[in-house]
Amino acid sequence: MRSPFAYTPRPGPLQVASPGAAVTYLGALVAVAFLYSNPLVLAAVGVAATLAGCTAGAGSAVRIALRMGLTLALLIVVVNVLVVDRGETVLLRLGQAPLLGRVDITAEAMAEGAILGLRAGVAMIAFAVYSACVDPDRVLRGLRPVAGRSALTAALISRLVPVAVADATRLRDAGKLRGPAAAPLGRAALLRRLMAGSLDRAVDVAATLELRGYALEPPRRHSLVAAFSPLWGGQPFTKRSRYDRRFYCVGVVVLIAAIAGLALGADSFHAYPTIEVGLGPATVAFSALIVLSGFAPRRRDA
Amino acid sequence: MPELSTPPRAAPALAIERLSYFYPSAARIRHSPHQEGVNVGCALRDVSLTLAPGEFALLAGRSACGKTTLLRAACGLVPHFHGGEIEGSVHVAGIDAIASGPGELAAAVGYVAQDPETQIVSTTVAAEIELPLEMRGDPPASRARAVEEVALALAIPHLLGRTVDTLSGGELQRVALAAALVTRPKLVLLDEPTSQLDPVAGDELIWLLRRLNEEWGVTILLAEHRLERCLAAADRVIAMDSGSVSFDGSPRDFLAWAQQADIALETPAARLFSLVGIEPLPVGVRDARSILRDKGVAQGRRDGGPPAETCEPVGSAPPPSAERGFRTGDPRPSAPAEVRNLWVELYQGDEPHDVLKGIDLKIDRSERVALMGRNGAGKSTLLRTLAGLIEPVRGKQEVSGGIALLTQNPSDYLVRERVGDELPGDEGLAALRIVGLEYKVDSDPRDLSGGERQRLALAIALAGRMDGDEMPGLVALDEPTRGMDRARRQDLVELIEGLAGRGAGVVVATHDVEFASAFAERVALMGDGVVIADGSAAEILSGGWYFATEVARILDLPGVITPEQGAISLDREHPG
Repeated sequence: MRSPFAYTPRPGPLQVASPGAAVTYLGALVAVAFLYSNPLVLAAVGVAATLAGCTAGAGSAVRIALRMGLTLALLIVVVNVLVVDRGETVLLRLGQAPLLGRVDITAEAMAEGAILGLRAGVAMIAFAVYSACVDPDRVLRGLRPVAGRSALTAALISRLVPVAVADATRLRDAGKLRGPAAAPLGRAALLRRLMAGSLDRAVDVAATLELRGYALEPPRRHSLVAAFSPLWGGQPFTKRSRYDRRFYCVGVVVLIAAIAGLALGADSFHAYPTIEVGLGPATVAFSALIVLSGFAPRRRDA
Repeated sequence: MPELSTPPRAAPALAIERLSYFYPSAARIRHSPHQEGVNVGCALRDVSLTLAPGEFALLAGRSACGKTTLLRAACGLVPHFHGGEIEGSVHVAGIDAIASGPGELAAAVGYVAQDPETQIVSTTVAAEIELPLEMRGDPPASRARAVEEVALALAIPHLLGRTVDTLSGGELQRVALAAALVTRPKLVLLDEPTSQLDPVAGDELIWLLRRLNEEWGVTILLAEHRLERCLAAADRVIAMDSGSVSFDGSPRDFLAWAQQADIALETPAARLFSLVGIEPLPVGVRDARSILRDKGVAQGRRDGGPPAETCEPVGSAPPPSAERGFRTGDPRPSAPAEVRNLWVELYQGDEPHDVLKGIDLKIDRSERVALMGRNGAGKSTLLRTLAGLIEPVRGKQEVSGGIALLTQNPSDYLVRERVGDELPGDEGLAALRIVGLEYKVDSDPRDLSGGERQRLALAIALAGRMDGDEMPGLVALDEPTRGMDRARRQDLVELIEGLAGRGAGVVVATHDVEFASAFAERVALMGDGVVIADGSAAEILSGGWYFATEVARILDLPGVITPEQGAISLDREHPG
């Protein structure tokens, strides 16, 4: 069964958009999650990322990321309340604990943990949408002129991971098929064999990349300047889609609004010494804008 | 007045002059002061050959004779990628392949290796085909056109939007071929491209290559073991032996040469004709039928030959089962494996699909059964279900006496550095004795030949499942002849006969009809998760087109599938 996070080609706007546009859009949402601590804004980013994923057809990836994000968020809350004893609203006194010292469960530490967890969860959802909707080949090829060796390494790894997973499955199956009197497979032997096999596979994949011309110098048109040549009438080197402008615009608007929101105090949140959450008009307006940005991957006729 | 000049002669698609090559390990030994006088393994030895533009050449020879190394040298991987020492010259369409790297040669030569899984490097089919053009710096418009044209030529436009992990082996092989062809190279090199394909997909690929050769003028150099499949499509055959070219000539001359020099390279059709004493030897089914017609020998049902009733099955094959899937009134003692109404569901992509759809099958002790059918028909799934790797969703299966299953990659069973460590104790030694490897206890599995590794893997599967010398109820082999030459296939036939002779039911999933005709007494033909035909090998392998032996396709006589049977039949019908 394929991983729900694996890229699936679909005719949706986010899938056909150039990697730069998709990364600008999803990256803007993640940037907001890291710039802001206000729970309303973070929740809005989470809703926007979820909407983006669902409208782009990556519902299963979003569902699994939500589950994983929620688990991670709970873990962060638990750890935070155990290790942080700041805050004035003590909910529970657990007394002395080995290594931790005095443990007081405070509402403020819980709130701060929830914010950290929410931020991590939101980032996970955005990454899940990216993983399921953005073609990794196009991203790697876009990187090639900028960082050729890194792109080659990433291309090798991205191909070797599924091959290694298939090899491991086959080796485990062969292990189950060994006769009862044969030496048992054992984890160490399996790993050693897998490593040796991966090296052989890596050589084969590298040979194919060599044959496809990966070792050639990137053409001069691949330069960053050339990437913007369509702006002055040049021929674009990479394929663009009619949705690129939309994603670039939404990403830039979200980032500008985020900076403006910071200036206008939309990020008012303090966990200590007592919890203060600002829900002023700037915060509400900015959150609404963020939620609306989640509809960017929607087709016009949908 | 300017003189009329003759047009410049096109450079040969491939020109190799006195090429010798040593892989790095052999080169190190060669230069070691302690190895003077030692015969060092030379992968290629003084090879010279020229391929003219538009030729279709077949590279024949036993396993490890140097075919793959020659192809690697022609695309620049040798020596640029594999290292080692090289002497002589290689030119591809006028480009010096030794001075240039594989990347520079990519526009002139395309290479398709044996395993399609490791020659795909992108996530989607369209990106994979487009990659060489993108690396070369072609603009999007010209890339899009080239991808579209090559996809149309190979009949895969419907695959362009798919991810590569959702493709079958045959589809992957076509995508790899498309990626090799998209730069419109002058020369295409293929290393056993049909080894993982069923007969239908294999035949389609060969005729696709022929069409590309005729319509696009692409020069083809194809290394292949199943010569009967591609000899008719080739203009020329180059045979190799121990790194040297041992024959270079027309397919018909090759067959005459193989009769004298290496009988393992003879095709079934040529064997049939040589047994009967008919000349010339045929290069394919069509040629054989034409020669027989010219000689006044009528063939089978299509040509109004002897009616089916008069042609008794020849050979040792028992009569077909009375009932599809189940044998009734069989004198054999017990059935070690029986499945009834077996349903298996597997995930293909995101969705679960029924892969086995109510299979009924019974295999008796000492019975040799070939499980055949196209890629994806459910053969491997059936064997894996019998071995307990897959849980069926419905139906009953009974395997008494245990099952030993050898999967498609014997190397997966070999994880230690000493044969004796894989199979310790008396039971391990007993298993080694069954496969004839008891004298290899102290060897490193990596030092064994391909056939020996396969036997060792089988011994690992058998160990502890035998009661003294008594075999487990069922021994199952999944595609055991991939990449095997005919001589090694014959060794495998003898091993299977030995296992069945000791009382095991043997079931082999295979695409290789000639191999099935050599070992099987019964064939179960699967299609889309069901058994669509089940009967004696003679009945099944002479009753169709794709799943029929070359002799059966030539003679079209019921029950006649091997050259020996064909010769008897022809002698009987046309004495003298």
